[in-house]
Amino acid sequence: MRGPLGSYCRRFGRLTRSGGLKWPERPCGGPAVHTCRAPALPPASITVLEAVALWRKHFEERGVTEPEHSSHSIMAHLLGAKTIESLEREKLTQFLSRETAEQLWELCTKRLSRMPVQYVIEEWDFRDLTLKMRPPVFIPRPETEELVELVLTDLQMKPGSGMGAEAQCTCLEVGCGSGAISLSLLKSLPWLRTVALDQSQDAVDLTRENAFSLGLQDRLHIHHIDVLKDADSVVSLCSPVSVLVSNPPYLFSEDMTSLDPEILWFEDHVALDGGEDGLRVIKQILTLAPQILANHGRVYLEVDPRHPPLIQQWVEARVEELRYIQTQHDITGRPRFCILQKEK
Amino acid sequence: MAYRRVVNLIPTRRQCVSRLLTPCFHKLPHYVFPQSSQAGLPVAVPQNAPNQCRSTTRTLHTGMPLMVAKLLSVEELFSIRSLQDYLMKMEREYSDCLKVVNSSGTEEQQEDEEGLRAKRTQVSLLAPLVHSIRELDTKQREIAETESLLKDEDPDLRELADLERETCLRDIQALRQKILDLLIPEEEADLSDLVLEVTAGVGGQEAMLFTAEVFDMYQGFAQHHGWTFDILEYMTSELGGLRHASASVSGPQSYKRMKFEAGVHRVQRVPKTEKQGRMHTSTMTVAVLPQPTEISFTINPKDLRIETKRASGAGGQHVNTTDSAVRIVHLPTGVVSECQQERSQLKNREKAMKVLRAKLYSMRLEEETSKRYNQRKIQIGTKGRSEKIRTYNFPQDRITDHRISMTVHDVRGFLLGEDLLEEMNSSLQEFSNQETLMELLGESDIQGS
Repeated sequence: MRGPLGSYCRRFGRLTRSGGLKWPERPCGGPAVHTCRAPALPPASITVLEAVALWRKHFEERGVTEPEHSSHSIMAHLLGAKTIESLEREKLTQFLSRETAEQLWELCTKRLSRMPVQYVIEEWDFRDLTLKMRPPVFIPRPETEELVELVLTDLQMKPGSGMGAEAQCTCLEVGCGSGAISLSLLKSLPWLRTVALDQSQDAVDLTRENAFSLGLQDRLHIHHIDVLKDADSVVSLCSPVSVLVSNPPYLFSEDMTSLDPEILWFEDHVALDGGEDGLRVIKQILTLAPQILANHGRVYLEVDPRHPPLIQQWVEARVEELRYIQTQHDITGRPRFCILQKEK
Repeated sequence: MAYRRVVNLIPTRRQCVSRLLTPCFHKLPHYVFPQSSQAGLPVAVPQNAPNQCRSTTRTLHTGMPLMVAKLLSVEELFSIRSLQDYLMKMEREYSDCLKVVNSSGTEEQQEDEEGLRAKRTQVSLLAPLVHSIRELDTKQREIAETESLLKDEDPDLRELADLERETCLRDIQALRQKILDLLIPEEEADLSDLVLEVTAGVGGQEAMLFTAEVFDMYQGFAQHHGWTFDILEYMTSELGGLRHASASVSGPQSYKRMKFEAGVHRVQRVPKTEKQGRMHTSTMTVAVLPQPTEISFTINPKDLRIETKRASGAGGQHVNTTDSAVRIVHLPTGVVSECQQERSQLKNREKAMKVLRAKLYSMRLEEETSKRYNQRKIQIGTKGRSEKIRTYNFPQDRITDHRISMTVHDVRGFLLGEDLLEEMNSSLQEFSNQETLMELLGESDIQGS
């Protein structure tokens, strides 16, 4: 449900269809405070299953996306599990304590306002990590799990080529967000060091928090730098790196308006909008890459499915020292990842 | 083998072992009746002890005749002519191959390199067996020698001979067991881990409740053995109970033991929801799929269609979904596997792949072995999928395995998945081993020599 929802929250929970498909701009930087009318807490005790069914119904009635899954995720989280499927049988028919019911109502009301589940429960999983989530820091997408897989595959195949365990192998991540990519790499490769950047102070803070939670803070250096505005700082930041990885904002500006409220109202637009052709940040990263990478070092990017051929053309024309290696597809079959290599 | 089991069961469990497991001995020459209750070796008694022959009666719940009418002891097995013939045949084959291998050097032999290699392999395969056979022969000669000393006038010498004899008998028992173990080939799948699948069958909610209990039982069984039990899928029903679940179980001998649990399990009891107190019979099915290692079984990624909730639209940064369920379809065979246990899509994909590999591997194994196994009563793995293998009767507090007509009591205790299930499982294993042996020897019906 797109356009009509623009008036949704202003009208206290009643769905009206207004004309005008322009999304209201949401100020980013802090959790959304909505005054949607929330369903009242029932007076009598209810069981887990009953509560889940009740909220699924509420979500459906209000047009919230993934009504059943949202209800399941929030309930499971309150009961200490990751998914409702992993909960013990007995727990499902138990009655909710007053306290838990109140917590459930509080969280589900937030979901009613279209706040993404990840922000509602303040955490989510990425590969084998559980990371804290906080608006407006960008929520990692499943595709990016595959980006990490690509980098790991290459890094794990490099023994004794000067980039192995003995040598100082460093990775640079541009636009770290919650720290998903960097922290996954560090978790899997004990000999790796990473430098992570983000233009958002919120992202830098969240990445730092996650790094400490996972005990990886010693091998991760995080900096608050905007790669578009402050290229010199980026270049002088670290000695030549073996890997440059990024999930940069790659949406086309015109596509921003068709985003779901979950994204448009709660996530940092700067982390999404890649300009008219979606390539603004990507081009900057590729321009700087030769100065950051060691020879034969590689760039790994997640991009829009339309980008790979455009990037290849552009690099061949504009960036002499970068060679386009290959395009990789994600598991849905879309061209999603670009791999390039510095060749002096 | 069976004797140790019988000995353990008789004193501790009332009426639990079917008369089937006490064989008929009237013809045996060297009958050794177990008196020790240790899980060790039977104690010898003088040969003139009266033999007891108990007739065995049992009802079979399936129409197929048992390949093995009863579980034979080690001694009984060794008295079977075909076994002795087989052992002699193995010895002969070994010496023949050895001769060829040792005298290789002549020109004509060098030409047949592959044949030579095959002979060398055969030698190394048969060596442990032949070695044990020869050791057994030695021991039997030794024991014959002590016979004469037992009748000696000197009491000390007689005592020494007695001890000597006891040691010999123990060694003989151990060697015979070893030879039997060596004869029974280890299946490729026996060394692997497994994927366990449970599905509710006939009986509505009651069947689903029972399915959950059985799944819990196997979780207990895994814990009992120190195996890992990683749930891949768990589909409950809103009314309570389990529709379908699967778990990845890994640990030593996990597949080897669990394979006997595959088939239809039946429960007879008054359901919780039953208001009039009537008895119901419900069923659930257990499937046990061996899980191959990466190397032994590969799947071409091009043969897979992976479905996720992110398939439509542009995906990536455009969409934020929390439903990370993954469904994988193996296009050539149409086999499907899905997982939504995890929040990470990658983890769901890995788990779904695990199940898919197990399913495809088990299909392949089934194809390969279907010719071999169709004679056997204890159909292991997927062949006996629709066969009712066990009934859990709550009012009578008994569990009966129909394949070997074994009954144990204490349903609640059994469902813990500990000692009681272990006993039954071990018996099934022994029966299956014996069937394998009989097949090997070319015997179609064994009553004892």
